[in-house]
Amino acid sequence: MSTLEKLNQVMCEVFEDDDLVVTRTTSARDVAAWDSVMHVTLMISVERAFGLRFKSGNVAGLKNVGELADLIDRLKAGA
Amino acid sequence: MSRAQTLIDYVAEHHPRSVRGIDEARAVDPAAWDAIAETFLGWAEGVWGPDGWQARCVEAFVVFSSDVIMAQARYEADGHYENSSFAECNAAVYSQREVMDDYLWGVFITNFCWSHHMELSLFFRDRFLARLPGAPAIVEIAPGHGGWGVWALSNRPDARLQGFDISPSSIAIASSIAKAAGVGDRAVYTLRNALDLATMPTASADAVICSFLIEHLEDPGLLVANIANLLKPGAKAYLAGAITAAQVDHIYEFRHESELVALCEAHGLRVCETMSVHPRRILPRARFLPRSMGLILEKRG
Repeated sequence: MSTLEKLNQVMCEVFEDDDLVVTRTTSARDVAAWDSVMHVTLMISVERAFGLRFKSGNVAGLKNVGELADLIDRLKAGA
Repeated sequence: MSRAQTLIDYVAEHHPRSVRGIDEARAVDPAAWDAIAETFLGWAEGVWGPDGWQARCVEAFVVFSSDVIMAQARYEADGHYENSSFAECNAAVYSQREVMDDYLWGVFITNFCWSHHMELSLFFRDRFLARLPGAPAIVEIAPGHGGWGVWALSNRPDARLQGFDISPSSIAIASSIAKAAGVGDRAVYTLRNALDLATMPTASADAVICSFLIEHLEDPGLLVANIANLLKPGAKAYLAGAITAAQVDHIYEFRHESELVALCEAHGLRVCETMSVHPRRILPRARFLPRSMGLILEKRG
């Protein structure tokens, strides 16, 4: 399963929407419930799902799902 | 276009996830929000220039807000604050000039862009500033960005202020904001540990402002004792603190409003009025309700 596919699963759970389909360009403009609080909720769920821990400051500026997927891949690669 | 509208437009364009929170803050009192935002952002423009304040303030605010919510999420999971000593916070935040600069500008914007802080701002303006005596000598303990004290000086042209903070960033930013607000000649900021103020002249202040320091201390009682020592009999203090509200540098975990009240009463201060507020939205299934509490205190005669 690709990072994007796994991320899609996590986002379906966080936003309680089984029909949610995300792409690399999906952003908060496309998901009504994706506000600042739900963004952190999503980040915590991503940490659990991918076995990561985000550092302070590296999640606030993420613009879309693609940037989040890239960050996950970099952290998994140990970058 | 007003600065307040410029801020809203900048957030909508660059940080759509933060729009809802600002809408909630403005909804507390739209007319007051417009006025307070215009005032605070005018000071920021005075510091950063007409084209620089938007990015400087909003980016700092968005990162600070995200860090706070993330800290709250970790607190929910762990059941305790991340750090428990001043030394840890000093290493991670206070001694890091760049981190501290961003932190302080972020906090500065929360005064009107977090709904519950907007409520406290109104409490401070309407219930505390309105009670100050003539020509007050104000002491601000840990002014941070300096906005509270500068706001007091802007509202009261007869007031003077001494501010003490342990952070060089605070001294620089508070001084720059005071200058931008046109009150720099009535504000003196000194690099000094707020817990060393016991050596200040007893009963020398007509008012004390101490906003969101107490939860950063290992021994909050020492701070309250210093406030009581500084105040003249009958003089007022404004104290704000955080309750089950995590931040990387919050170390003293107040669980209930009554703890703050009892602490103040135990040190010779009468609790005249309080306001406890919380964010409109909290983390799903949260067990802790993060609150901010403002207290108006009076030194017993």
